[in-house]
Amino acid sequence: MAAISRATIKLCGSHAGCSIGADGPSQMALEDLAMMRAIHGSTVLYPSDPVSTVKLVDKMYSIEGVSYMRTTREKTRVIYKEDETFEIGGSKVLRSSAGDMVTLIGAGITLHECLKAHEELLAQGIHARVIDLYSIKPIDAKTLATAARETGTLIVVEDHWVEGGIGDAVLDAFTPKGPVTRGGKVAGLDTLPKVVKIAVRDMPGSGTPEELMDAAGITASHIVATVKSLV
Amino acid sequence: MSDTNTVNTLERLANLLRIHSIQSTQEANSGHPTSCSSMAEITSVLFFNVMRYDPKDPRNPAADRFVLSKGHCAPILYAAWAEAGAFPVSDLTNLRKINSDLEGHPTPRLNFVDVATGSLGQGLGFACGMAYAGKYFDQSDYRVYCVLGDGECSEGSVWESFAFGSFYKLDNLCAIIDVNRLGQSDPAPLQHDMETYRKRVDAFGWHPIVVNGQDVTQLLAAFKEASETKDKPTCILAKTFKGSGLKGIENELDWHGKPLGDKANEIIAHLRELVNEKTLVRPQISKITAKVAEIKKDKEIKLSSPPNYDGKKEVATRLAHGTALEKLGKGCEYVIALDGDTKNSTYSIKFRDALPKRFIECYIAEQNMVQVAIGVASRQRYITFVHTFACFLLRAADQVRMGGISFTRTKYVGSHAGVSIGEDGPSQMALEDFAFFRTIPNIVCFYPSDAVSAERAVELAANYDGAVYIRTSRPNFPILYKNDEVFEIGKAKIVVESSNDVCTIVAGGVTLHEAMKAAEKLKGVGKAVRIIDLFTIKPIDRDTILKSVNATHNRLVVVEDHYPEGGLGEAVMGALAGQTNVKVIHLAVKEVPRSGKPAELLSKYGIDAEHIANAVEKLV
Repeated sequence: MAAISRATIKLCGSHAGCSIGADGPSQMALEDLAMMRAIHGSTVLYPSDPVSTVKLVDKMYSIEGVSYMRTTREKTRVIYKEDETFEIGGSKVLRSSAGDMVTLIGAGITLHECLKAHEELLAQGIHARVIDLYSIKPIDAKTLATAARETGTLIVVEDHWVEGGIGDAVLDAFTPKGPVTRGGKVAGLDTLPKVVKIAVRDMPGSGTPEELMDAAGITASHIVATVKSLV
Repeated sequence: MSDTNTVNTLERLANLLRIHSIQSTQEANSGHPTSCSSMAEITSVLFFNVMRYDPKDPRNPAADRFVLSKGHCAPILYAAWAEAGAFPVSDLTNLRKINSDLEGHPTPRLNFVDVATGSLGQGLGFACGMAYAGKYFDQSDYRVYCVLGDGECSEGSVWESFAFGSFYKLDNLCAIIDVNRLGQSDPAPLQHDMETYRKRVDAFGWHPIVVNGQDVTQLLAAFKEASETKDKPTCILAKTFKGSGLKGIENELDWHGKPLGDKANEIIAHLRELVNEKTLVRPQISKITAKVAEIKKDKEIKLSSPPNYDGKKEVATRLAHGTALEKLGKGCEYVIALDGDTKNSTYSIKFRDALPKRFIECYIAEQNMVQVAIGVASRQRYITFVHTFACFLLRAADQVRMGGISFTRTKYVGSHAGVSIGEDGPSQMALEDFAFFRTIPNIVCFYPSDAVSAERAVELAANYDGAVYIRTSRPNFPILYKNDEVFEIGKAKIVVESSNDVCTIVAGGVTLHEAMKAAEKLKGVGKAVRIIDLFTIKPIDRDTILKSVNATHNRLVVVEDHYPEGGLGEAVMGALAGQTNVKVIHLAVKEVPRSGKPAELLSKYGIDAEHIANAVEKLV
């Protein structure tokens, strides 16, 4: 109803995903990205480190309409320098090389798992691009299209159910936006890239954050195994 | 009844439960021992005196029911069942561990938990559902008990449940509010103002009893009074202290959700002396005296008669749903329907008129309606179908989410999908419902496009051992299928097909019919298209879509009466995620809609036949 009222409100949901640990599924948000993405005109942000969190909260100040930030309970490393800038609709390519065979896309806590996976893969001679997709809506379709073109496969890892979250947002970025009118060109019509979604599929229980993320298959070792099965 | 020996034993058991709560949370290094402590006497009295149940057969349908609405007090719930004999006390140290079912908040992975709690404000509604079933369906003497926290009484859904409980005279229901004054980060708003609590509960038509919640004698008397109170449910308002019995912690702020750390040993030592376990004689658990009739479960639930449409008249899927629900109710005596004062729009009224004793009017209180449905469906005696406009079901999203954690088999029916409802405007239109419902684990999401498939959806839903969402539509649709057409979950139907189709169109509901009109237009310019009616959005028929797309030059148009995020488009793209070379145009509603005639709105928002035909031409 806030969207129908064209209201400007800024929401923050903490304790995202199974990574909260022992409290169990009643306290875990695993469907929030799906719901908030479907609110008309919403902005959906999911920062992975303290610097980007502060910068994006700052950006939220001027956003009109419904905006939503997803925050994490676990402590995570600082990735960005304090003078780094972040844009709504942007993303950060954190690792990139000419020989990238696959792209790993994460946000929030899974971004760190993607970075760990990148290191492990590099040690085995496999180059992977890593993207921090902190702006899930609007999404950085350009960077995703480049990654799809240059690396072939996009692997999306999220601490969220498989429906409606980051994986679906990535797929959605490859279909044209705007109504299709007679005689006009369809902007951005391209073929769907190969997308592999790594997400939570079974109802989690209680456990440590590491155990629960491992059981859900969204940790570095699972990402590495998936990449190796593909390349 | 209340002799010194009984009282003394229950007091000692309360302290024993405190010790278990402290020890298990200490071992887990997380949990809520202070919240458990304030309800220790309440738990002891209920589990070791008042409630009639069998610890070796926790799901016995004639047993009293217990709902821990303040689910974070799981440790004391587990302690009570262990001490009652349901499982070894030594298992309690596995609290919150990954390989233990003793989760941080209770879920029905445990056979003594009927409904998952932990998201506050829902337990009383579940208890209302259980009590309603006990009084009106089972017509049995079992009683239902629900313990709530005071902080959680700020949730509006709690008061929806209070209104429901008194309206339906649920005198077999007893709520207990553990008024321990302190919430999570601050005191609860009413703190220990017991008089205001009493007035509110009384105003909602319940019988209030204010007691000292740490006093076993007063609790025993209160439960006796509750059992003798007719025609209205009882709410015991127990004045307690958070961390009661824990020296130095009792009634102090900042102890919510914290194990006792280095204070534990001293406190446990003190409690052990009070318990004096060597001489503690555990009482017999009160035996079950209630009776319930056995419900004969059909191997397969069938509609009392098949769909019967002449194919000439157009019929809305919401009406077909109502017809089917009535036939289902006639074919199966344990189907229950609920509605939130929209029964003459959702057509659940047809069930109500034919089978009034199995219909629960929940009024305009959707959160409680879903809670009641989940409660009625617990212990798998009844199958519940919940109805309202799809957009209003979203009000109960957290209840549906918790229902998923409870593995409930409740079926959610949302009508008035999309812009196709017309003039009522966006506040009544569901444009984001699939985005949410698809996320419920193992849920089946039906989107029937005609009356025949709508009837079969209801039948399939009843037989599916899990949660279901059915999206129905307001406008009249032509009949697509023969009356004897067979439908399956996860199987789409190809409704238009030829050997030289240039593109595949996937649609559902109103857009399926727009696609068919588009196909006619395109035929006129020599282009044939294949049209798929998904029938179930989840599970999605990946094979049919893939085969069709591959056979139609890898061209796909997905068109839906829903926002772009989370609906048919993403479901289809998700199914095709591993494929390359597929070109997709996704037509969906991309702005907040307004009032207008349905046909005008479909056109304005780019999901009508003309826009579909344009999209196909763009791709080809």
